[in-house]
Amino acid sequence: MPASSEPTDPGTADAVIRIVVLPKHLHARPAGKVAQAAARHPATTIELHHGHRKANARSVLGVMGLGAVAGAEVRVLTTGGEAAAVADEIVDILCAPEAE
Amino acid sequence: MVGIVLISHSSGLAEGAAELAGQIAGGARVVAAGGTDDGRLGTSTERITEAIAAADAGDGVLLLPDLGSSVLSALALLEELDARRLRIADAPFVEGAVAAAVAASAGLDLDTVARSAEEARDARKL
Repeated sequence: MPASSEPTDPGTADAVIRIVVLPKHLHARPAGKVAQAAARHPATTIELHHGHRKANARSVLGVMGLGAVAGAEVRVLTTGGEAAAVADEIVDILCAPEAE
Repeated sequence: MVGIVLISHSSGLAEGAAELAGQIAGGARVVAAGGTDDGRLGTSTERITEAIAAADAGDGVLLLPDLGSSVLSALALLEELDARRLRIADAPFVEGAVAAAVAASAGLDLDTVARSAEEARDARKL
């Protein structure tokens, strides 16, 4: 492939990966917050990976089904839209202290 | 926002599922319609109709029945009421309620909220 001057492929050009070590279990409430945030960004594809499992961030049940506990490494992969800002928003939710 | 009505034979089951879904999906309108008017196990068309009215904010209402006559009651109401603003989700009760509530709280439309509930059929917990 010839090198192109402008990255134009939305599928790969703006892919963003963030890696976090969870300070808390990724259980029901944070999973709900992740899915709510994902729904606010329909232009961005957001996946969470934990070990061999991956989940679409829009699926609260999928995110819970990752079984990611405190101390686990989770990768946040975003493409499309404001991929970097969306990735940061998801990371903030994953790293936020337990509410209440 | 799309409203959600949880229909069960048991008022405890409907209310508990509504409480859980509401906790996970802050801001969602989840209304329980469980049991009969006199507090027994069963379904009450009147209670379901009231719950639909309470859940309806103008963007439609998703009905999520648990099983048996809950499903039949929901179907009967769909014939009676304005079917364009109602959907029935064929989904597991607790998981479907949580998935639908999250989708609704994010402002998604009725078809998408219904689909979120039905995708719960494929969600693995282990």
